[in-house]
Amino acid sequence: MAEKKTWRSTAVAITAVGAIGLTACGDGGGNGNGAEGGGAISESHLIQGGADPSGVADDVAEQAVEGGGTVSIFNTEPQYLMPGNSSEVGGSKVLEQLFTGLTVVDYETFEAGPGVAESWDSDDQVTWTFELGEDWTFHNGDPVTAETFVDTFNWVVDPDNAQQNADFYDVILGYQDVVDGDAEELEGVRALDDHTLEIELNEPFSALPLMLSYTGFYPLPDEAFEDPDAFEQAPIGNGRYQMDGEWEHDVEIAMERYEDWPGEEPGIPERIEWRMYSDPDTAYMDVQSGELDVLDQIPPNRLPTVEDDFADHFTGFETSSSEYIGFPLYQEEFEDPDVRQALSMAVDREAITETIFDGARQPAESVIPPMLIEDHEGTCEYCQHNPEEAAELYEAAGGPDELTVYFNSDGGHDDWVEAVSNMWQETLGIEDVTFESLEFAQYLELHDNQEISGPYRMGWVLSYPSPQYAMEPVYTTGQSSNYADYSSEEFDELIAEANAADPEEADDLYIEAEEVLLEDMPIMPLWFRIDVSVHSENIHNESIYVDPRTFLRAEQLVVLED
Amino acid sequence: MTRYIIRRLLQFIPVVFISTLIVYALVFAIPGDPIRALAGDRAMSEAVQESLREQYNLNDPFIVQYAKYMWGVFTALDFGTTFQGRPVLDIITQRLPVTLQLAGVTFVVQAIIGVIAGALAAINRDRFLDRLVQVSTVVVVAMPVLVIAFLLQLTFGLNLGWFPISGTGQGLRSFILPAIALGAVSMAMIARLLRSELLDALQSDYVRTATAKGLTRSRVIGRHGMRNSMIPVVTFMGADLATMMSGTILVETIFNLPGLGEQVFSSIQAQEGTVVVGIVTLFVLFFVVINLIVDIIYGLLDPRIRYE
Repeated sequence: MAEKKTWRSTAVAITAVGAIGLTACGDGGGNGNGAEGGGAISESHLIQGGADPSGVADDVAEQAVEGGGTVSIFNTEPQYLMPGNSSEVGGSKVLEQLFTGLTVVDYETFEAGPGVAESWDSDDQVTWTFELGEDWTFHNGDPVTAETFVDTFNWVVDPDNAQQNADFYDVILGYQDVVDGDAEELEGVRALDDHTLEIELNEPFSALPLMLSYTGFYPLPDEAFEDPDAFEQAPIGNGRYQMDGEWEHDVEIAMERYEDWPGEEPGIPERIEWRMYSDPDTAYMDVQSGELDVLDQIPPNRLPTVEDDFADHFTGFETSSSEYIGFPLYQEEFEDPDVRQALSMAVDREAITETIFDGARQPAESVIPPMLIEDHEGTCEYCQHNPEEAAELYEAAGGPDELTVYFNSDGGHDDWVEAVSNMWQETLGIEDVTFESLEFAQYLELHDNQEISGPYRMGWVLSYPSPQYAMEPVYTTGQSSNYADYSSEEFDELIAEANAADPEEADDLYIEAEEVLLEDMPIMPLWFRIDVSVHSENIHNESIYVDPRTFLRAEQLVVLED
Repeated sequence: MTRYIIRRLLQFIPVVFISTLIVYALVFAIPGDPIRALAGDRAMSEAVQESLREQYNLNDPFIVQYAKYMWGVFTALDFGTTFQGRPVLDIITQRLPVTLQLAGVTFVVQAIIGVIAGALAAINRDRFLDRLVQVSTVVVVAMPVLVIAFLLQLTFGLNLGWFPISGTGQGLRSFILPAIALGAVSMAMIARLLRSELLDALQSDYVRTATAKGLTRSRVIGRHGMRNSMIPVVTFMGADLATMMSGTILVETIFNLPGLGEQVFSSIQAQEGTVVVGIVTLFVLFFVVINLIVDIIYGLLDPRIRYE
């Protein structure tokens, strides 16, 4: 193992542990020192490799077969291939190749980079002007103009079209009127000329350019509005790749490079085949046999043997996908922050990530995923395992001596929930812990009706990599995903202030808000997920990158032989 | 005979009605709101949720939902759609061939291997081959299908590379491993059943008579012994084909075959009532039709059985 990995100082590093067998990477020479790259790196071993987040190095890209070749990639059957409707990974990572939004994410800086829009500007973070490039066309030849975005945004928000991503538009002026049926079109979206788009918001929102990179904002051609169902079978986009044939349900989605794509970094593979699997374990064996090129997230039961199975053809990536335990603040027992802090300090996250997750989780010391803000050290004092203090605090605060822990039964959470509960019992003297494990639909219903009576498990993944999205939808007053029912004026104000600030100052304000949040602790952060991907011999090691939204950057895969 | 068949066919009508009603009711009884679960951790806006519930009649009481569904089926052959707007009929026409191929290959594989193993065991009674069949069938019956499927994938798919691990890309070859996994238990049952039947037959008077008359051993076994021993085996295989459908759920998922079983599994999880009802009703129909055919064949095999 030792010498096989190539070290790249900027690559994402992950912490891993002996249990997973990812040992001895630390002394495999190379051109860098991993500790510079990752977030929190403990003494434990780490693996890294894969591509530079900013894209594939030229000398790597040069090794691709002539034309770029064909790559086959694991996928689950997408729910939808309509951008306005796609809110899950299976559909969104396909759509990301078929469409290019106004902006794209720059994975080196986690800021918005130019997509269809070449530049943008705002004096007050309320009214934004986007200058669009002139060469953009849909795969059918129709031009992509400012008017395209006006039509698309109005269509997605229209309640008759029932698009799941509609509420991402709620910052735009006139959103509520359209939802209520008082207006046909969004007041705040205007085409000033063919290539100038103006977006006016309800309130200052500095994360707008980053948010516009999200799936729900991709431009749609007229075909999409005329017959959405037919459109979805073979979406016509403006992205790096165009559909080759129709969506073959549960089997395959094939796409080819769109040669007229005017962006800066065209796709490297000539053809991408997304293969749909119902069981990732089967896909794992298909990669082993060379039938499939890439599986971007191996099932947990394969972690202990992945090194034996794949030698150096596997890589771990930190993602923004986090899990937390929330407290129902609407229940009297959890009103006291001391109780919540004590429950948090009683949990040894490190032990759980190592023994139960085989290193495929990174203990969380923050709510904002660590990779988003440079040098953002964990601000979560109470995330540190501190059993003595926890016990004292819990006793002084008179925490409940019986707990019911809630989680959804379909995600394989039983083991770690039990481990957490054992720690609570041993450390805090809680006498009895019962588990309520429910089907997801039923689980959410309990939350909506505020019938949760104890700590509960929830997760969050960033649709666009902004600290704003890590906090505002989940913790500000009255938001639909604020299951804890947390409401803090100070926190809300700091978020609003950060949203209104210049991007350079915004990060500091988000961190301040995070500190308030972690002091109040309506939820206790647990860990961030590490996705371990595996690939066949056909794919260059250093062309693999799974971004923090958990999307494989398929367009930059370097195929070594066809 | 014709009257008997017509009478049996008429019985299908209440069977279909009752089974759709029960299945629909069961899906309806799954707690929780499927539309709420559609979007995952992040809630959809109320307006969108409401519009989806309206679209799928989820605000109606159970019996109204069911009536609307049946009305659509009978007046417009509209079997409803998934929550993604995909017609159930499309799904069935795409997936049915996969499941039928799997069932067909399974049937053939388990018949050939089961019968050969059973016959060999009986002929070589108490010798090595017999012991081998006896022990291996016990092992197979005791092993969960999940484990069998995994071992097949690992051995013949990954290590030896004889068969594909997943998918339907290689035609009939793709179905061999799934068929063995799906039919493994029945295969063992057939072998054991045939062995004991054949042993009985070989002890019986008419076989001893045939032997005494100087017929060759192969003719005695093939013509006299096997023929009578096969009747219960055929009955078993018929009934087994009818129940095979439930086994496809697991096997199709593991081998990534886009058949009906795999769809039922995911649709139950998503609480897509119309999809589950459509497919399960198809399974029910399959079951009753096969039973009818078995009954008819029974009459043909054994002249003593007559239907009025």
